[in-house]
Amino acid sequence: MELTRRDLLKGAAALGAAGAVPGAHARPAHAQTTQKKELVVAQGGDVSMFDPHMSTSSNDIRVSFNVFDNLISRHPDGKLHPGLATEWKLQGQTAWAFKLRPGVKWHNGDAFSSADAKWSLERTLDPAAKTRVATVFTTIDRIEAPDANTLVIHTKKPDPLLPARLAFYGGQIVPKKYLEATGAEGFNRKPVGTGPVRFVSWTKDDRLVLEANPDYWGGRIDADRVVFRSVPEAAPRIAGLLKGEIDVITQLPPDQGEKVNANASTRMVGALYAGLYVLAVNSKVPPLDNPLVKQALSLGIDREAIVKELWRGRGIVPSQPIAKGDNHFDASLPPLAYNPKEARERLKKAGYKGEEIVIETTVGYTANDKPMSEAIQAMWKDVGVNAKVEVFEFSVRAQKNRDKSFKGLWWSDPTSTLGDPDGMMWRLLGPGGPQDYWRQAEWDELGAAARFSVDEKFRGDAYKKMTRIFLEHFPWLPVIQPYEDYGMQKYLEWTPNPNQQFEVRKFNFKFRRA
Amino acid sequence: MRGFVPYLAQRITRALIALWLVSTVVFVVMRLSGDPVPLLLPPDAPRSEIFRVRAELGLDQPLPVQYGLFLMNVVRGDFGRSIHYKEPAFTVVKGYIPATLELGLTAFVLATLAAVPIGLFSAMKRNSLVDHAAMGVALIGQSAPTFFLGILFILLLALKADLFPTSGRGDWRHLVLPALTLGAFTMASIARLTRSAVLEVLGADYIRTARAKGVAETWVVAKHTLKNAAIPIVTITGLQFGTLLGGAVVTETVFSWPGIGRLAVQSIYNRDYPVVQCTVFLAALMFIAINFAIDLVYGLLDPRIRTH
Repeated sequence: MELTRRDLLKGAAALGAAGAVPGAHARPAHAQTTQKKELVVAQGGDVSMFDPHMSTSSNDIRVSFNVFDNLISRHPDGKLHPGLATEWKLQGQTAWAFKLRPGVKWHNGDAFSSADAKWSLERTLDPAAKTRVATVFTTIDRIEAPDANTLVIHTKKPDPLLPARLAFYGGQIVPKKYLEATGAEGFNRKPVGTGPVRFVSWTKDDRLVLEANPDYWGGRIDADRVVFRSVPEAAPRIAGLLKGEIDVITQLPPDQGEKVNANASTRMVGALYAGLYVLAVNSKVPPLDNPLVKQALSLGIDREAIVKELWRGRGIVPSQPIAKGDNHFDASLPPLAYNPKEARERLKKAGYKGEEIVIETTVGYTANDKPMSEAIQAMWKDVGVNAKVEVFEFSVRAQKNRDKSFKGLWWSDPTSTLGDPDGMMWRLLGPGGPQDYWRQAEWDELGAAARFSVDEKFRGDAYKKMTRIFLEHFPWLPVIQPYEDYGMQKYLEWTPNPNQQFEVRKFNFKFRRA
Repeated sequence: MRGFVPYLAQRITRALIALWLVSTVVFVVMRLSGDPVPLLLPPDAPRSEIFRVRAELGLDQPLPVQYGLFLMNVVRGDFGRSIHYKEPAFTVVKGYIPATLELGLTAFVLATLAAVPIGLFSAMKRNSLVDHAAMGVALIGQSAPTFFLGILFILLLALKADLFPTSGRGDWRHLVLPALTLGAFTMASIARLTRSAVLEVLGADYIRTARAKGVAETWVVAKHTLKNAAIPIVTITGLQFGTLLGGAVVTETVFSWPGIGRLAVQSIYNRDYPVVQCTVFLAALMFIAINFAIDLVYGLLDPRIRTH
């Protein structure tokens, strides 16, 4: 690209104008429409793997959910929709029958069939394949493919959430014949899926180029190419968006939303996160083994202030351990209360003697973790809690997470992988789960029963009771359900997904044309 | 060239010891920094799965065994397989070297080309307004954090003035801002050192003699001053190359430049031991090679050095 004298003059003029009006950028007035055919997405880190069974990191699944399809797809509305399977039905208690979409082709031209689906799901469980998603389908007993368009999955026990499992990571279907021919490494170098975009090229940490799959069963997307760039720092990511070099950015910090909205050609879009930000509690150490102390801690957090001040309103105050938008979310419960007076009384009743309570936090593992820790420490000080904030590094957090050795409280951002409490509170807080620091016999029984029941009414009742017990014992202190925000050009129409999936499909994405 | 062979042999031995020390320190520090496996698996992966992956990566071996294997493999040029990318670590790192060389050399050349004349001019016009202005700017260049400078350039020159792209690698325009950012510190250091080296030489007896016998001022500067001031300048230039490699870590991250500095940062976050080890080893090798070359240049510039 050549820099002409006119460009320089324009630049100098813009610099002058920008100096006069802080935050102003020279933007053409027609930026609300575009003739672009290429969608440029910038995320905070690069892709590491294309093989969808080899990674669950959010940077990878933003890409793999577009190159590959699942049998069932969770749309931005949070509901399950047909994917490579057009219909599915529970037969008896433990057999799920799937009718597969006919006429679907892999990106290399091969025909998709039930053999691919069977092989793909079995691969996730195969120890020899060494996948990173080996825990997703452990409820599966065996899979049958009676004909090219039918798949029957038998589960070991009734599994009401099998369709939801199939819609998330681990459930992306990979091509049997191609993968067997290329091997896992070859496949990862040149992935072939059935999704709306196909792989073209990748320069690590620079750009990943994908092109539209013209024969996509869900309709060709409204772009010729989709380019993923990795821009680790938020400031250049936002600058690139404001300047128009980038069409969509992920991980827009809450305090930058106003800047993006104030710019004439860009806007912020968000989806309420499918999950919660919580202070997880080690309920084994005193005084946190006393439910009254934990109730007092919860009553001592001014969540409204946190949402308003630290998140600029980009979140809601939780009312329970089930994320809003999930199955069995109880809309009748009020937001968790802030009541310093009551908090003081419960501490007194608990016989709290000023024992130190430690909040362990990283700087940025979850957004705003350190500022929130400091705010909560101050709020707790006001009600008489001797709280201390200790900062640790990401890897120490990962290690402590594995060893279950947190001192008191720590930040966790449980994701609802299945749109259901089973995939969030039970997965993490259940016996043997990664955050198993608290046990209560009735809660455990209810959780186990709900997991293996296909009766939704029974499950609903169980989760109601579990919520009641939870709100007495607080194995987590839910703090906020934030929005996952993106910045994008106004000439785009696109709806984000609540669970880090980043789908570019005909039904949810298009460029506005003049 | 008497004494040159022992000089060379001694230098090579020192370089090898430095490489061994660097590799060992990185090996130990990476192992102290934590286990990569919890970062690779979903948070609810059971312990059995964690043990399986640890065994798969060879992390279940005792540390001395891992270290022994590591050293033996490094000697053969094998840095192991990247945990993150599942490819040989060297293949991964190799892909990032051209971008770093492109950026580092541009910054280096820009910095040197600008710094030597500035330093020289400042020294000639000592205590003038130009001298004070130049050294003031140099002070800012030396003290402003790279991160701050990078973001400042992006906001002013890319976003407001619309002169250059905000980030990424592409044509020459993509190179300007990261090279300026990366070169700022180096330029400032070399300019300040050039000034003081030239000032020192200007006060020497042989310069007075040259002037006294009527040698033209330009000739005094070009032949007598610059050549004698060259040794400290060349030394600092070599050392500054190390600063450039270090600065690349921040600059490449700010400008999302796909070089080894950024790879190193990402790999540390990912606990990708083999890639970190390979990156640091190659960076150390480059640094040692450059300084080795500079040692040889000294020998050419000043015969006293190679005989002592």
